[in-house]
This record gives sequence, C-alpha cells and structure tokens, in this order.
Amino acid sequence: MKDRTFLIILALVTLAGIAVTTALAIHGYRLWQSISIVEMIANWR
Amino acid sequence: MDKKKLVKQLAVILFVVIFFAGLDLGIYHLFIKRVISHHSPGMQKMSVEVSNYVPFTDSKNIFSAKDAPKLEGDIPTIDGAAALLPMYAGFVESIYPSGSVKTAADGYAPESAMHYTNTRGAYKDIVDGKADIIICAQPSEEQLKYAKDNGVELEMVQIASDAFVFIVNDSNPVSDLTVDQIRGIYSGRIKNWKEVGGKNIPIAAMHRNKGSGSQTALEKVMGNEPIKPDYTTLFGSPIGISFRYYVTGMLGEGGVKILKINGVEPTAKTIADGSYPVAGGVYAIYRKGEKNPNVYKTVDFMLSPEGQEIVEKSGYIPVKSA
Repeated sequence: MKDRTFLIILALVTLAGIAVTTALAIHGYRLWQSISIVEMIANWR
Repeated sequence: MDKKKLVKQLAVILFVVIFFAGLDLGIYHLFIKRVISHHSPGMQKMSVEVSNYVPFTDSKNIFSAKDAPKLEGDIPTIDGAAALLPMYAGFVESIYPSGSVKTAADGYAPESAMHYTNTRGAYKDIVDGKADIIICAQPSEEQLKYAKDNGVELEMVQIASDAFVFIVNDSNPVSDLTVDQIRGIYSGRIKNWKEVGGKNIPIAAMHRNKGSGSQTALEKVMGNEPIKPDYTTLFGSPIGISFRYYVTGMLGEGGVKILKINGVEPTAKTIADGSYPVAGGVYAIYRKGEKNPNVYKTVDFMLSPEGQEIVEKSGYIPVKSA
C-alpha cells in the first residue's frame, strides 16, 4: 500500500471512529439526562 | 519488505478500529445500556407522565373537591416540585377557574396560573415574582440565600408530609440500612455492599444536582459529612434517593426497592408518627407580605378538610385529619 493511500485510509477510519464515538456519547448523555434516578436504578442490575 | 510494511499498515488501521470499537462498547455499557430500556413500552409506563396531571382534563389521576368554591379575581400562579405535582394539580382543579390553566405544546403556557417546573425552578420563580405559591420540600441553604439576597422573605406553611427514601435495584439483597450507614455510603467511607450485608460489589451512590428537593434532603441527612461526587458512580450496584410518593405512586415502584431505615419502613403510619427517621415536610410557600388575598385563600384551602383529603387521596400524608 502506498503511504498516501495508507494515510487516507487511516484518516477516514479515524474520522469515522471519532464521529461514531461523539454521536454515541451525545446520545448517551441525553438519555442519561432525561431519566430519573428511580428509572435508572430500575434498569441497573 | 513491502509485505512487512503492508502488515504494519494494516496493523495500525486494525488498532485504530479496535480502539474506537472498544471505546464505543464502553460508552454503550456505561451509559446507554442503563438508560436504553427507558424507551421500552414497559419503562415508558413507569415514566412520570406530566400529561396525566393536567387539571380540568377529567384525569383519573387527579383527586379534587368538586364542590369547593372557585377563586375569583387575581388568580395566584402556582408551581412546585415534580414529586408533588399530583397534589397541587388537585388543589388547582378544586378551586381555580378552569380557564386559568392553559397548556402549550411543550407544557404550560406562560400566561397559565399553573406551572410545573421543579424544586430549583420553583424557588427561583417565587423569589423572582414569576410564581405566587410554590409547593415544595424545605429549601436549601443556597435557595434561602438567593431569597435573602433579593430582599424576599418566604412564608412556609406545612400542608403535608412525605418520606425521603433510599432506593436500590430490586435484585439487591440489602433491604435495611441505618442512618449512619447511609452517611458512610454517601461520604465514601463505605464503598462496597458487602460492608452492609450485601454482595461483594462496589456501591454506586447516586445523588442529584444541587438545589433539587431530594438533594437538599440528602444534605440534611448527611449533616456535616461531605457528599462524595456523583461522577464516581459508573461502576457497581446503585443506591439512589427520592421521595416516597414519587417512587410508589408516580412510578409504580417497578424494578426498584425502597430501603427500611433503622429497621423502619416508610409508610403513612411511620411517617405520621415520626418513627421513620428521614420524613420531611411538604410546604406551601409564598412571599411574606403578599397582597393578593387569593394566595391566603388557596393556602387555607390546602389546610381545610377538603384540601387535606386531596393530600391523602393523592398519596401523601396529611398534617391534619381529613
């Protein structure tokens, strides 16, 4: 694999990873904020 | 040589993929898995549906006095804590004119005489003059300071009682804690459930944001002991705080268990006779020197036999025999 190709693939994989992680973290934070302690404890075995 | 380089390049890419996959899996297990079932049909049934407590909608969840005389003239704006919504919705439906409560797409309309905020918002609103009566538990030190700094003195009239409760998942074998153990858990002295007769698993001591009714109640239980920060609660089995009716009445108690404190279960009897050690008052709060006579009429109604019957039927403990 050429260096340029490798760097492009690496950049794309990294960007995709950051995007998915950020979206997941925001989604999780919003869910976390939207429920009460009571509901969270009911879910949390 | 090229093959070695290719293997290295593929290894780097694989490492990045595995790194992000691990990170995402961690986020899923620590955050999302614990809250995702909130959106299942079963969990939605347990959620507090504010729309079930809108006065003048023939809601079966609201208990009101049908024959009570309605207020006339300047109708006081009423607000309060989430855990007390059923009670003050009943007061409003009893004595407020039906046209005074107005809803909007995202809750109550700004001109409505009834609002539903929360303890923090309600205390701010009574000081700022956006509410005339609020129904809440005792204020925190910060809330009293905010009133004082703004030159507002608050009158507090106890209209009901409720218990401050500690809850665990219903799979937790622990059913009883002492007040000292509670202080140990929330200060970080007691870190594992096995120290209080449970499984060998860390305690995730969950609490709320400063100024909320239950957090203020927890601060009172803790006395001078500091509460350890909430961000340490990602691992282990949880313990949380709430008010009794919020758990038993509004959420149906599904999946959680209310702990006995010092061997006493929080029931209507143990709260009323004071044997449950962490019971608390529910107050109607208004500004001292309030000029609107309807504020006093509304508070008088809350303490009347009809008002106290609403307190009892809504699931709280009356301060006077209904």
